[in-house]
Amino acid sequence: MTEIQVVRNILEANDQLANDIRNEASKYRFFLINVMSSPGSGKTTLLEKLIPELQKRGVKVAVIAGDITTTADATRLARLNLPVVQINTELFGGDCHLGAEIILPALQKFELKDLDLVIIENVGNLVCPAEFDTGADLNLVVISVTEGEDKPLKYPLMFRVCKTAIINKIDLLPHLKFDVHLLEKNIRKINPQMEIFKCSGLTGTGLVELVEKLYLKINQKNSS
Amino acid sequence: MHELQIAQNIVKITEDEVRQSDLTQSISAINLKIGKMHAVIQESLRFSFDVLKRERAQLKQAELIISEIPVKIRCRTCHKTQLITEPIFVCSDCSSTDIEIIGGNELYVDSIEYEDQ
Repeated sequence: MTEIQVVRNILEANDQLANDIRNEASKYRFFLINVMSSPGSGKTTLLEKLIPELQKRGVKVAVIAGDITTTADATRLARLNLPVVQINTELFGGDCHLGAEIILPALQKFELKDLDLVIIENVGNLVCPAEFDTGADLNLVVISVTEGEDKPLKYPLMFRVCKTAIINKIDLLPHLKFDVHLLEKNIRKINPQMEIFKCSGLTGTGLVELVEKLYLKINQKNSS
Repeated sequence: MHELQIAQNIVKITEDEVRQSDLTQSISAINLKIGKMHAVIQESLRFSFDVLKRERAQLKQAELIISEIPVKIRCRTCHKTQLITEPIFVCSDCSSTDIEIIGGNELYVDSIEYEDQ
């Protein structure tokens, strides 16, 4: 029996492409946000409120929307008068995340030099997207108050990979037995440095603070 | 769910190594190091790998040997290192939250074994 030493990262192909994306983003100086969550946490509704606020501040935005089969999200976002690339991972079944090999060609469909911000709306899933680097400047997780307070403990990799967490649908709190402080505590158990925002994508509550923070980060990159 | 893609990448890396070393022998084992942070379900990974290897003559005999690496953290405040068994990234000694993960993020093909002819 002979053994050959290999020591190769299983995700090496993805990670190399993620670096290519990082290079594109610094060459054209756009900020790249990867938005992840479980299905139904309100990513699209949140983006529908968030993007116009950024546009009002002069930020030129484009979106890559990942969905397994439909174009519903892309259609909703296209109404905001911005370039959208829809990625359907597969018609039946389909992939569970957007890998760098999918993001890179999608980016190339945009006029990158004209953009300040590209938002990836990843496939709704808290497991797989955390595993595949997209080259994003900011990984952001959305968790809604209709999910469990223990979600962070069940999906630790996701909450470690993300630097920002948005607790969404807070307008529903009066109707629920949901302990936001417990959720925050659980998030911090996994990632004590997590930047946390509490918002409602529907009513717009709490959005100003988030918009300001993102605007700062986008500007830093654009003027770097 | 990400196990299929991980299995595909393992096959790709193995075939690449086989080509580079001009191996004609049958591969008997692929040794993997997988950190607990990746939440890989071993049964699911083996199932995907078994489906993929069927179509590949040189891999038909190959077994995945998975060595699972626990999550290890180091406290930046008191410098103590410890293994953690649940996802609570806080130093159990001094309660500092300023910690770094120094083990458990591994995800690589460590080595490949083949029978000598």
